[in-house]
Amino acid sequence: MLRIQNLTKVYPNGTQALKDVSFEVKDGEFLVVIGLSGSGKSTLLRCINRLIDPTEGKITWDDIDITAAPPAELRRIRRQIGMVFQQFNLVKRSSVMTNVMNGRLGYANPWLSLLGIWPPTDKQRAVKALERVGIADKASSRADALSGGQQQRVGIARALMQEPRLVLADEPVASLDPVLSHSILHYLEQLNKEGMTVICSLHFLDLVHRYATRVIALKDGIKVFEGLPAEIDRAKFKEIYGEEAQEVRATTVEASA
Amino acid sequence: MKKLSHLKRMVLSALVIAALVYLYSVSYRVTNMDFVRLVKDAYKAREFVSAFLHPDLFTRDTETVTITTTFPIPCDSAPISEPVESGPRLVTSVPCAGEKERFILEGFDMAPSTEIAVRWHFPDGRVFTILRTTTDADGHFSAEVEARAIAASAGGVASAIEVDTYIPISGLKPSQAMKDVTREIFVTIFMALFSTTIATIIAAPLSFLAASNITKRGPLGTSVYYITRSFFNIMRSYDPLVMATVFAFWLGYGPFAGTMALTVVTVASLGKLFSEAVESIDPGPIEALQASGANRMQVVRFAVIPQIVPDFVSFIVYHWDINVRISTIIGFVGGGGIGYYLSEKINSMVGYNQAATAIWAIVIVVWVLDFLSAEVRKKLT
Repeated sequence: MLRIQNLTKVYPNGTQALKDVSFEVKDGEFLVVIGLSGSGKSTLLRCINRLIDPTEGKITWDDIDITAAPPAELRRIRRQIGMVFQQFNLVKRSSVMTNVMNGRLGYANPWLSLLGIWPPTDKQRAVKALERVGIADKASSRADALSGGQQQRVGIARALMQEPRLVLADEPVASLDPVLSHSILHYLEQLNKEGMTVICSLHFLDLVHRYATRVIALKDGIKVFEGLPAEIDRAKFKEIYGEEAQEVRATTVEASA
Repeated sequence: MKKLSHLKRMVLSALVIAALVYLYSVSYRVTNMDFVRLVKDAYKAREFVSAFLHPDLFTRDTETVTITTTFPIPCDSAPISEPVESGPRLVTSVPCAGEKERFILEGFDMAPSTEIAVRWHFPDGRVFTILRTTTDADGHFSAEVEARAIAASAGGVASAIEVDTYIPISGLKPSQAMKDVTREIFVTIFMALFSTTIATIIAAPLSFLAASNITKRGPLGTSVYYITRSFFNIMRSYDPLVMATVFAFWLGYGPFAGTMALTVVTVASLGKLFSEAVESIDPGPIEALQASGANRMQVVRFAVIPQIVPDFVSFIVYHWDINVRISTIIGFVGGGGIGYYLSEKINSMVGYNQAATAIWAIVIVVWVLDFLSAEVRKKLT
């Protein structure tokens, strides 16, 4: 169980990204976070693994206080939390294999890993992870030689290397076309069914209805909705995205259908 | 109100123009600009330019054959020489002459197209070179000679006119200058290589400390960042020439001083370039690796280094190229290598052809390195 309590983030330049956000995520949920760009979705996800340190508030995960963890413990927490990014965040010049192995760094012997020496079990694990996302044949390709959809699958394989209990996906399909979106989210759904908790930010309403087990919505850093995906009707959506976003919503829903 | 501001603007631009005119007139005066002289004195550069077009590249082993004829000055001071009818011989238009008279000296049936030196051989044994020239294809030459007072006969013995013919007895082979220049240009290339290598070893780790995205975290990191950055900036403000002068005093003239000077300058320059390359990397992979629980060293090794290696290699090759160029200059102030050779030859006043050899060598090496480094950098991007 992940518990977020009164989370507030104010950036040094004064931008208030999150205001007093509280919610809980039970193990095995597929929680989708929706909201306009700049509503605080990315900040929220990054506060959970403390890529961004929250200004106020507390995040606890099975009685571990993430917000108070010292660096060494924070790394041990992070290695159990996989993360998937909108821009994939792969090392473009490195091979797919190297990128996938990077997901294992949190478990590796720090010194041997610097020399690029990996236990054979980790290598097998990487091959399995690549097989799982269907791109084992690309292992020796350079990451930037792959298409966007393939790169995101490398991103998921990298997260799998962590054997995570929780996956944070920050708009994992926003850079991909609708067909690929489904294939990527399908992988996350499978992982979720195997027991991984997923917290995922999304833009498209139909994807929300299709994959989410629960939804929270942010607007200007404030949680404006928490409930089941079915509860988000047209009126709710208008409330979350604002009047002027109506047109955009219509086209995005059509485009992704 | 509007008119006033318009007037103000006009006055202001008039002032700016006046200030510029003043600045340029002062600079014109202090720099002793004289474009008339630039054209008028162009002939003074002729000697050097002609030397530049005739670099000392090859030489032949030669055998010197000397032919001679006596020439009494004034007439009756000594017996005139018997005319020779065949074989290599010298013929004068008059058998003898008074002081300051001019006559024509000709040589016949000598070695064709061969370098010769014409000289007086005085009765007291001293010699005085008149000219150096080349025989034509028929082995003939002619020259106008003045019967100088210094060549007057003494004690009934006339001065002789001697002509040395340098007959080649071997094929072309590299001249001494060519050998020296080849050796020194390699010294220069290795100076540049060595200084660039040492500078890379020093600058690469330091550059991470001077990269804001790596180091500028917390009070300690921030101060380390500013200290390293200031260190690079202070080092960069010293010109390579100044550095070379300092090291030449410290270590004596030679390649060691030059290499040290280049190293110092290159550390500063590469440090700055490297740190900027580190700062411009994609932060995404760093974020991804931090999120997976990697430590700081692992993040640098797997997210930062793969991104910067191409830039680093390109800067290193570029700096090697630059350092070859700089090291020719710092040779002038005691840095050793081809620059030192060049300055020696230019200052000696008689080594212009050798200096030309050095300049050509520099031009070729700089061109080749420039081309290679451009190719390498093209491959890396």
